[in-house]
Amino acid sequence: MNLTNVITQTASWQSIAGLRSVTFHWRGVVARWRTALCCVIGMTLIAAAAALQPGRGIAVIYPDIGEPYRGVFARIIEGIEQQTRSRVPSFAIGANPNMQEIAAELRRQDIRVVIALGRNGLKFTSGLERDIGVVAGGVLSIPEADARNISVHSLAPDPGLLFARLQTFMPAAKRVFVVYDPKQNAWLMRLAREAARARGLELVVNEASDLKTALLIYQDIFAGADPQYDALWLLQDSTTVDETSVLPLVLREAWGRNIVFFSSSVTHVRRGALFSLYPDNVEIGRHLANSALGYLSSGGQGPRGMVSLKAVRLAVNVRTAGHLGINLAGRQNFDLVFPEQ
Amino acid sequence: MTRTGIKLFCALLPLAWTGTAIAQPLVEEDLAMAYGDKATVSIATGSQLDLRRAPAVATVITAGDIKAMGATDLDEVMETVPGVHVSRVAANYFSTYMIRGIVGNPTNPQVLMLQNGIPVNDLYRGDKGQSWGGLPLENVARIEVIRGPGSALYGADAFAGVINIITKTAADIQGTEFGARAGSFNTRDAWVQHGGKLGAVDVAAYLRVGGTDGSKETIARDRFSGTANPSLAPGPLNNGYDAVDAGLDLAYDKWRLRAGYKLRDDAGTGAGIASALDPVGREKSERITADVSWSDPRFARDWGLGFTGSYLHYLEHAHYQLFPPGFAAGAFPNGMIGEPSRDQRQLRLSAFATYAGFTGHSLRFGAGHDDLNLYKTGTRKNYLLTAGAPSNDLAFNGGAVVDYYDRQSHILPHRRKLDYAYVQDEWNFARDWTLTAGLRRDIYSDFGGTTNPRLALVWDASLNLTAKLLYGQAFRAPSFTEQHGINPVADGNPALKPETIRTLEAAFSWQARHDTQINLSLFRHRTQDVIAVVGTAFANTGGQHGSGMELEATWDAGRNLRLTGNYARQRSIDDATQADTGLAPHHHAYIRADWRFAGGWLLSPQVNWVAERKRAFGDTRPEVADYSTVDITLRTNRGTKQWGFAASVRNLFNADAREPSLGNPVYIPDDLPLPRRSFYLQATYSL
Repeated sequence: MNLTNVITQTASWQSIAGLRSVTFHWRGVVARWRTALCCVIGMTLIAAAAALQPGRGIAVIYPDIGEPYRGVFARIIEGIEQQTRSRVPSFAIGANPNMQEIAAELRRQDIRVVIALGRNGLKFTSGLERDIGVVAGGVLSIPEADARNISVHSLAPDPGLLFARLQTFMPAAKRVFVVYDPKQNAWLMRLAREAARARGLELVVNEASDLKTALLIYQDIFAGADPQYDALWLLQDSTTVDETSVLPLVLREAWGRNIVFFSSSVTHVRRGALFSLYPDNVEIGRHLANSALGYLSSGGQGPRGMVSLKAVRLAVNVRTAGHLGINLAGRQNFDLVFPEQ
Repeated sequence: MTRTGIKLFCALLPLAWTGTAIAQPLVEEDLAMAYGDKATVSIATGSQLDLRRAPAVATVITAGDIKAMGATDLDEVMETVPGVHVSRVAANYFSTYMIRGIVGNPTNPQVLMLQNGIPVNDLYRGDKGQSWGGLPLENVARIEVIRGPGSALYGADAFAGVINIITKTAADIQGTEFGARAGSFNTRDAWVQHGGKLGAVDVAAYLRVGGTDGSKETIARDRFSGTANPSLAPGPLNNGYDAVDAGLDLAYDKWRLRAGYKLRDDAGTGAGIASALDPVGREKSERITADVSWSDPRFARDWGLGFTGSYLHYLEHAHYQLFPPGFAAGAFPNGMIGEPSRDQRQLRLSAFATYAGFTGHSLRFGAGHDDLNLYKTGTRKNYLLTAGAPSNDLAFNGGAVVDYYDRQSHILPHRRKLDYAYVQDEWNFARDWTLTAGLRRDIYSDFGGTTNPRLALVWDASLNLTAKLLYGQAFRAPSFTEQHGINPVADGNPALKPETIRTLEAAFSWQARHDTQINLSLFRHRTQDVIAVVGTAFANTGGQHGSGMELEATWDAGRNLRLTGNYARQRSIDDATQADTGLAPHHHAYIRADWRFAGGWLLSPQVNWVAERKRAFGDTRPEVADYSTVDITLRTNRGTKQWGFAASVRNLFNADAREPSLGNPVYIPDDLPLPRRSFYLQATYSL
């Protein structure tokens, strides 16, 4: 006997037993249910309306570019909206944006902090009024002078997280070599030195201001590297890392001499780097939103300067790992695996 | 059709131009450095990949590849896989996948069809099902095709190859997409798919409704042309169908629940089930699948564990006019009618464990139990089959269409149970050298046991070169129709043994330059105990041996141009006749260019060349004519909250491409024509 039958039978028995009293009683119950229902609907509508309110003073400015990066920005905005729990107005700006129109719109919506994505997004905000705060994301690094007044969430993966990953793959690691251009990554090297110290690693830092110098330094590094204790870290650095000379050299030497090399660029993992950390876009959105909310709640104060990327995912090249004798079995929490077949 | 096509293209050209004009070159170099190039970004922003790398000669076709090719059906994708040629048979114009010269005729049970790793082959024929009716691709994340034997891991029918269709999860869809498509032959499709979260559960859902009238190519002569019996030839193919496809994928923590639905209704009979044109024949098939799985790759230190339970229900109900009215000098005034129906259930339970405790070894164990039950069959018809021609059986109900279940069913219900266990070890015995050894034992309730090993030696020779040497044995289980079919001229034989194949392959994977990848594979195989009709019943008879190679290359010629191509050759000899087995092409080549231009447009022309197809032994017709077809697809996709458009023309130059008809005896002398020039236009909107 199913539940519907039981209910029907009970109701009919009640109606036979005392029709009038039952009817009055039911009317009261129904009336109460109706009121309760109205309250619930009303509250839901209010909550929904509140939820649909454009987020309290935050807007996003991002460059109007095509795929695949457009999807990246969409995910970041998703993360921002998840964190602020509200819809956030977003403006896609082209190559020749109408500064006045957008600035007016921002004033109209009472925007007090703008999350600027990409170099173009950031460039746009330089023309805004001083009282609108800026949180930047979707860039690797910007000149230190500009970073002094705003909070910049870089796409460069946090050195501490990279070193931690290195140590899980290569517990015996002692030295990490890196080559960098001070104009681009000085701030990152400061973080890296601290992180290395904290993890008991020796960070061997080499400065290079052009590609030729960088190449020579890489060759020296490989000549003296010990496969048991040394690892090489390739930065996101347009001066010292390029696809046609540095990368092939590093790939060749690292494979031939069995040296561990990891990169801040995920494309290098596809080419043969052991691992990389790459952005988790929705998570980046959340971090940016937190920064913006922090700016609002602190009344315009709050952290300034460059922040490294902590919202990361892991990409691993299992062929390289096999070649280096690194046992990966059992550590199946990689987000991205190369080679793909 | 031609004028409409030209009009469609003219309509699109201005869009292409405006796209180019409007697009401003905004550059964001940092993004390229952080996220990688386009190829890496699309993978990186997608979902997790399976770390289960079983060395084999495989091809992976991603959703991105499918879009670039403009493929809307699995058959179109399969034709581009090196070593695979999609052919047709008269009945239902069923698409048969010829892999490396191994031809199923007229069924295709040497290829194992998996959906998310779960077999979906039909028990009656052992292949993907007579009423397969195509497979749409909007909800497909990836297609993995393994050429060669796979029984050591997958069991039965992983003989010539394995095809694994992987459906999209919530992470693959990310949002909601609506789509509609219209094209030649009154083809129409509408679909919606959604990927998102419901609380802590990842939800992916898909629904598609569509149909087509089918390409109405003309069959000039059929089995009765030029005979005393009436023939409906010349006449058009009967190729249409209505379709509903749906899927649901729920994931929570380590659990996953999937459900699927595939309905093909009012499906036509192609060139006729018995090679006599049948404009009134209709079939319906319905497949319901459900599976639940749990897996934890890090269940304990060094251990991974998982299990899957799946259920499949498949029915095929048909109404055929096998021979037209007037057949046999008026003995069948309303035609010879057959209405077979079959309902089956497949229940599969499996578990696996991985162990990485022994240094240098990566072990995988698995076991399972399958309960395969063709539980209900029906045979309504108006004829009786005898050792000679079918008779109109007037003595039985005056020759009307009635239930023949007790008199002469086409097959009776049958149930098969299977227990299996397998083990595989990937042993990294020296730097850059891995030896994978696997073994699987299957014990069938009806035909006994079979053991199938495989060995793979992989050498990472250098940074840019990997070499593999592979050996495997596989089997094809006798299908229910081969074991228990009731047909006086092709009777079932319950004592059949499985067909077996042994394959030796060598494969090379060479990253010639940073933008060029080249793969070469060479193979030899030998099949034995091939099942075919001998006298009046099925028997294990004969075999064939073959060899060949596949060469593939991918070249990223520039930032916006990618070229992909492959060439395959094969030669297969029948052991009994020492003649070419025929039907499959000796040469098959494919090339495609993907050209990205401003505004997010992608133009992909592709060429397919099929050559040197000999006839089956005893067929005296001239060799099947070679053909090449050209397709072009133009598409745009600007991502979320955006419209996307695609337009495609297939067989642009109206080539007269034909697939060979059966050769012994020859019923359709002019072979089976493939569709002439056709178009489709598609629009999608993503939220």
